[in-house]
Order: sequence, then structure tokens, then C-alpha cells
Amino acid sequence: MSSKWNKSNLMGWQFVILPSALILLFSFYPMIQSLLLSFQSGKGNVYNYVGLGNYGRLFSDPMFRQAVLNTLLYLIVQVPIMLMLGLVIAYFLNMPSLKFKGFYRTAIFLPCVTSLVSYAVLFKSIFAVDGILNRMLMSIHLIHEPVAWLMDPVWARVVIIAAITWRWTGYNMIFYLSAMQNIDPSVYEAASIDGASKTRQFFSITVPMLKPIILFTAIISTNGTLQLFDEVVNITNGGPGNSTMTISQYIYNLSFVYTPNFGYAATVSYAIVIMVAVLAFLQLKVGGEKK
Amino acid sequence: MRKMSAAGIHLFLILASVVSLFPFVWMLIGMTNSSSEIVKGKFSFGSELSNNVTKLLDMTNLGEAFWNSTVIAVVGTICTLILSSMAGFGFEIYRTKGKDRLFGLLMLSMMMPFAAVMIPLFRMFSQMGMLNTPSAVILPTITTAFMIFFFMQNTKSFPRELLQAGRVDGLGEWRLFTSVYMPTMRPTYAAAAIITFMNYWNSFLWPLIALQTQDKKTLPLIVSSLASSYNPDYGIIMVAIVVTTLPTVLIFFLLQKQFVQGMLGSVK
Amino acid sequence: MKKLLSVLLLVSMTASLLAACGSSKSSESTEKGAANESAGSTATKKVVAWAWDPSFNGAALKIAEELYAKENPGFELEVVDMAKTDLEQKLNTNLAAGVKEGLPDIILVNDPNIQKYVTAYPNTFADFTDKVDFKQFSQYKVDALTIDGKVYGVPFDIGVTGMFYRSDYLEEAGYKAEDLENITWDQYIEIGKVVKEKTGKYMATINPNDEALTSILLQSGGSWYITPDNKGNFVDNPVMTDTLRVYKGISDSGIAKPVTGWSEFVGSFNAGDVATVVSGVWQIASIMDAKDQSGKWKVAPIPRLNVEGAVNASNEGGSSWFVLDGSANKDLAIDFLAKTIGSSSEFYERFLNENGGVGSFIPSFSSEAYSQTSEFFGGQAIYSDFTKWSTEVPGITLGMYTQEAKDALKNELPNILNGADLTQSLANIQKLFEQQVQ
Repeated sequence: MSSKWNKSNLMGWQFVILPSALILLFSFYPMIQSLLLSFQSGKGNVYNYVGLGNYGRLFSDPMFRQAVLNTLLYLIVQVPIMLMLGLVIAYFLNMPSLKFKGFYRTAIFLPCVTSLVSYAVLFKSIFAVDGILNRMLMSIHLIHEPVAWLMDPVWARVVIIAAITWRWTGYNMIFYLSAMQNIDPSVYEAASIDGASKTRQFFSITVPMLKPIILFTAIISTNGTLQLFDEVVNITNGGPGNSTMTISQYIYNLSFVYTPNFGYAATVSYAIVIMVAVLAFLQLKVGGEKK
Repeated sequence: MRKMSAAGIHLFLILASVVSLFPFVWMLIGMTNSSSEIVKGKFSFGSELSNNVTKLLDMTNLGEAFWNSTVIAVVGTICTLILSSMAGFGFEIYRTKGKDRLFGLLMLSMMMPFAAVMIPLFRMFSQMGMLNTPSAVILPTITTAFMIFFFMQNTKSFPRELLQAGRVDGLGEWRLFTSVYMPTMRPTYAAAAIITFMNYWNSFLWPLIALQTQDKKTLPLIVSSLASSYNPDYGIIMVAIVVTTLPTVLIFFLLQKQFVQGMLGSVK
Repeated sequence: MKKLLSVLLLVSMTASLLAACGSSKSSESTEKGAANESAGSTATKKVVAWAWDPSFNGAALKIAEELYAKENPGFELEVVDMAKTDLEQKLNTNLAAGVKEGLPDIILVNDPNIQKYVTAYPNTFADFTDKVDFKQFSQYKVDALTIDGKVYGVPFDIGVTGMFYRSDYLEEAGYKAEDLENITWDQYIEIGKVVKEKTGKYMATINPNDEALTSILLQSGGSWYITPDNKGNFVDNPVMTDTLRVYKGISDSGIAKPVTGWSEFVGSFNAGDVATVVSGVWQIASIMDAKDQSGKWKVAPIPRLNVEGAVNASNEGGSSWFVLDGSANKDLAIDFLAKTIGSSSEFYERFLNENGGVGSFIPSFSSEAYSQTSEFFGGQAIYSDFTKWSTEVPGITLGMYTQEAKDALKNELPNILNGADLTQSLANIQKLFEQQVQ
């Protein structure tokens, strides 16, 4: 038994060694460089060693605090909505009897391939002061005068959340749909015969069977949201004020918009790494990786 | 009651589809209008299509950019799928403490915002003399913790009896991987292919930095430079966007059948 | 079937890996070849430039190339177009990584970035002090390029501002052209109220997320977000105080249509929703896009602030050409720029005629191109008006932390517009700014 286990262990390494080496080379080498940089401060290509100075600066930096709060808000509100929606849609689209599946599937997936430029132009024009949404709401007399969606801190955040959900729900749906193929249809048939309702089947068969993938999408979405950049830059550019700015946008500003301080930018990046790592660890614990 | 709920599901899905499709329709409409009509929010087909197309072809070398994007996306996707599925298979099927720890470490790599590693990475590719090549764009994401993780999670429901049966038949581990695991996991490969292709096709920040001459540029770089002039022509931009979007839609069309056919069907 | 599939996959994997390696090899060798070529002989007459708008600054370089090639046969210029933000990102990455490979010889720099680049990347940009006769350029433009007594580039386009207005709307409200000359912002707001009442049109647009208007107001008063020694310039700055007072006045009076982005801004005047547009001279192209409005537009000097020394002229945007000090073709690039954009009136005339670009080269202002009248603007000689105003623009030092200061202001602006105590708000902005640039 033990010799067989050893053999299997060695067998496994031959599959993982090359991919792991590539990640170590192309991700960890730059990451270590960036870690060294996070102990330095300066501008452009003139740097001084400051020890933990940058890390201290994080705690007294109001912009950073604002960016973290905004990002966490997106995370807490948006990720659960999106994952639930993606899962429900995937479940519907996996029903054997449903018609027009191909159409729905393609339509709902499309937002995540739409180019960012068009998506930004579009969302801005929908939520513009005399945009389509205001015109619609006024025609059904829900509001009397146009709402400046992107200029109100609360509404601007709602727009960002709607935009991310719109773009990434179909993306998550793909993961769920492909994983649902691994569930034997006879399980559902048996449940139906036993009189379990569709809702019941969803919670007692689909969700448990998909647990690894739900965990996967939760970690990926957490990671994606904490690194959120495109949507915010293109739709609100962080405004009004800095009320929609994210941590990634702050890193970008520190590196390319402000007088470049790549040292401090690296420090902020490590703050993201630590937050994602902690959250991923918690999710893995809660998600029950016990096997 | 049954009928009601089916109608409800359709209503929900139709609503979701309309919301999702709307920008796409808007893009197609925009393609046929002039810039000032788009800015004013005109929502009907116009007659500027051929004009916009001609101007776009005049201003940019679209064919070249399309080819560059295709090479990067196709080669990149194939390499990424093979390498990541190998690792996902290895990490999950031959699971050990050591491998778990290594995987945990690898996961850290996807948590780092790209902007923070860009400069060291750029220096590295410069030292390797590989800047301005498709390889420079492909290599940093040729294997990602993200895809490995995806394959691992899907492998959890892979029926291991199939491997056992294969071993009894005298197949080696590599043969098990290529002729048992790969075909069985077709839905997973299909989903992974769509996602990976899309990532390569749309990737922007790194190609922007790593590609240096006009003749190596990819489509998103072209679109970005069109959109930022002092007086952007949205009609032309819309055409460029449609051209950029179509291949990913096409890949999705081609591959989506794969992950609805079901695993059991493909094993038989 | 499954065998075929796996074989196919394996074959394509090897093939593609080979292809990837092969392509890197081959292009590596060509790259080396190119490098040798340019290092080996100074006789290569090819210069590479980065610019961000092929129909504007890219086109200008092409004109300059034509002019230069007449005297210097064999001269060749390659313009690489990319978005402005993309260009800045690439430049920063290259310079910060210390990688020279792939950098061009000539680069376009947005004026507020000048001091930032020169300070953050010392010894990177070529000194132009003795290469160009800077007395021939508008002083404010040269001021922006001067750091510690050295001039770091060739002035290019300017953004001298004007108040574009719809003469038809203003006439309907009872105002003639002379009523709009030499006014203050308070008068402007009063006019705006009448226009709104009589025509139902907005006077202007407002976008709290965009600093264009505050920048214009500050420079018209000879001030900026930061002081010449890079300290925050928010507290005890009468120009800043009056700028924000005017800004709040425009916002409160209801004469401004809120817009949230560039396309909405352009859309608002293309659709005829607003009576005036206060903007840089380069806005002419977007205004003229609405061909159905020909003859209805005019342009007047911008209103002025209610502080001492404030004028009816300002600037929005504008850029300059830099040469990289380490580039292999440095001398050729300097000579090229100095002899064309740095001294040729012909260049500026053609740039105006062909691309609608306005420069700061004073000798060209008296040319025929600059005195032409525009049908679209009701027969007004708009360019000679703009150039006249350009000589009145106060010269300021843009400093190296403009963007940080703008963001600090942006953070507090919603509070100011909601009626928070201005002195307190300005103190907050100053504090936030100082935290940002430590």
C-alpha cells in the first residue's frame, strides 16, 4: 500500500512540475521583485529604502481607506447576487425540457465578451442625465425630473454594481453549466419520482453537487472584485469625488497618473494580496475542503 | 401549476437575454450611424456603415492586428489548456500534502494585481530578448493558478473508477491522462477554452507594454487608440468593436454544444 | 474519436509551442539586426515618434516630416499611434524598468506632465535651451517647459480658451455680441439665467468629475492647484477661493446641464442643448461636427474672475515634443524638431489649414492661414481672435503634482457644492493633498 502511494505521488509530480515551474518563473519572480520594491519609496526611477515606512503610510492614507471601503462594499453586495443569479440561470438552462436554450445561453454569455470600450460608452449613455433610463422612468411617471445617476455617490455605486453583475453573471454561468454536465440526469429523475419539487431538487441535488465549483467561483469572484479596475475607470473614473474608486484604480493612479511612486504602489498591491489570501482561506475553510 | 412556472422561467430568461443583448444590438446599430448620431443616442439603423468601414480600413491595419490577435489567442489557449489541465489532474488525482502546499503557493500568484508586477516582468522579458513577440504576450499567462484551480475543482467529480479500469487494461499514467481524462472532461475543456480564449483575445495591459511596433499590435490596442483622440469618431469605433467581439462570440457558438452534451454521452 | 482528439491536441500543442519559440527566435534576430543597424551608422535617417491622435498630432508630425525631408533627403519618420493614457503607461514602464529597447526618439508630452517626467526620470530628456529661439513662442507655453532654467522640449499645440456661444440663442434672450465681451463670471451667470428663462436652453454644462473648468478659472487668475515649489495651493489663495465660489454659483443657479462624460459633453452642444461652451481652441473640430448648426456659432473671450490680476483669457490642455536623451538618433531628432515645429511658420500654417491645430509660434499669427474667416462661425476670424487671446494667458508653473491636487479637490467638491464651509473644505483639501505627496 505504501509503495503504491509513493508511486502515485511520484506519478503526480510529473504532471504538475512544468506548469508550476512556469508560474514560479513568470509570476513569483516578478512578485518577489515587487516585494523588495514595497520597502522603497521615491519617484520614477529614484528610490530610497524606507523599511516598513510604506506599510505605515497605508494606515494613515485616507485615499487608501476610501478605496478599501468602496471595494469591500462591492464585494459584499455584488458577489452573492451575481453568483446566485448565475447559478439559477444555469440551473434553468440545464433543464432537459426547456426550449430555446441555445439562444438564452448565448445571449446571457455575451456581456462578458463585449469590448470594454463599447460597454463603457453604453453604460454611460444609459445612465446619462437625458439617457434612456431616465426617459423610461419619466414616461412611466416614476420620477418627475431626470436623476443624475453618476453624480450621486450612492447611485454611482449602484450603477457600478449593476455593471459588474451585468458583465460577469454569464461568465459564472458557464462554469456552473459545464459542471452540471457531471451530474447524472438519473439523479434528478429519481428525485422527481420521489416527488421532490424543482426548487427542492435545486437545493438538495444541484447545489451540493456543484459545491467545488461554487467555491471556485466564489474565490475567483472575490479575487476579481478586490482587483476591480476596468468598470470603475471606464464608467465613473472613480467619481463623484472618489466615492467609487477601487484599490486597483488607486494602484494604477500611483503608478501611471500621479508622479509615479512604484514603491508605494507595490505596497498597496500587497495589501490586496493579503486580503484576497485571507478571504480565500476562509472560503476554503467554510466551503468544507475536508476530503 | 407546471405550465405557470415554465412560463415564469421563460419570462425571466427573456428578460435576462434582452438586458444582456441590448449593448450588442446598440453596437450593431451604432456601426451604421455617424459619430454625432451615436453621441445623440440615435437608436435606429442608419446608412453610414460602408463609410465607417472604409474609414476604419483606411486609418488602421485591421487585417494585421486581427492576425496578431488570432495567433496569440489560438496558440495561447491551446498551451494553457494542456498545461493547466495537466496540473489540475496531477494536483487532484495524486493529491498529497506537498502538492497541496505547492498549489496554495501558486494561488498567491493570481491575487497580485497585474500593474504591480508589470515592471519586473517587462525587465525580465527585455533581458530574455523577447519583447515585441507573440511569445512575450503568451508566456506570462501560459499557465495560471486560476485555470489549474478550475480543472482541479472539476476533477473532484471525475469518476476515478475509469482510471482504475484503465490501469487494469495496462495503460500508463500519461495514456490515462490523454485517452481517459481528456475526453471525459470535454465539457470542462470547452468551458476553459472559451474563458481562456477570451482572456487572451481581450488582454490589454500587458500586450500594450510588451508589444512595441505598430505591426505587432493586437485588436484591443487598435480600438483603444481610436477611442482616445480629441475628437473620437464613434462610428468607426463601433465597427472596430464589432470586429473585435465577433471571434469570441464565434468560439462560444462552436464550443457551447460541448458542455451541454454531457459527460456520460462522451464516455460511451 | 477520443484517440483522435487526444492525438490532435498533442500535435497542436507541440506545433504551437514550436511556433511560439520559433517566432521569438526569428524576431529576436531581426531585432538585433535592427539595433546593430541603428547603432552602427549615424547615417540612418529614421526617427521614431510616439503620439496619440493620428488625425491631430500624428498628422502634424507628418507635415513636419515633409518639410524636413525637402532639405534632408532620405529622412524618414515613423509615428506610432496609441491612446494618450496608453502612451503614458508605456513610457513610465520603460523608464522605471530602465529598459531603453522599444523607446522612441521623440515623444509627445501633455503639458501638466512635463515637470513630473523631468523630475521623476532625471537625465532622460534632451535639453533644448539653445536649440530653439523660444522668444518666438507665447511666454506661458515656454514657462510650462522650463525647469531650473532649462527648456525641455519644443512647444506644440495650445489650448487657449474661448467662450463658444450660440448667437441665435443669445439673441433670442436679448444679448448682442458686445454684451458678451469682457464680462465677469457673475455677469455670465446672470445672462445664463435669462437664457434659461427665455429659450429654455442651458447656458453651460457641468461635470463635477472633470477638472477642466476649475483649471481654466485658476489659470485665468494666474494661479494653479499647486505652488511653483510643489506645495498645495488651496488655503489662503484668493484665486482658488473665487474659482470655487464661481463654480458653486454656476452649479447652484441651475443654468448648467449636468453631464457625466466626454461624449455626453460633446453630445450636449452637438444636439443644441446648451448656449455656451467654455473650452480650448481644439474644441472647434467637435463643434463643427454638427454641420446643421453652421453660421449659428460665435466665439468670445471667456469671462473673468472677480480677483485682482484676473484676465479674460486662459488655457486648457496643450502638449509639447520631447526628445529622449539616450536615443540613438538624438541629434537628428532635435534638429528635425527645431527646424520644423520649432521655427517654421509654414508648418504652423499647414497644421492649421489641414488639421485645425493652433500653435504658439508668434510669427505665424500674422499669416494668411491665421486670419481666415470661418463660415461656420458667422464669418468671424476665429483664429486671429484666439491667437490674440493666447498672448494674454497668464504664465504659470504647472508643477509635478497637478493630478494629485486635482484628485484631492475632487474628493471635497461634492461637499463644497452641498454648501459646506469653504474655508474648512479648503483646509481639508490641503491636508489630503499633503498626505498624498509625502
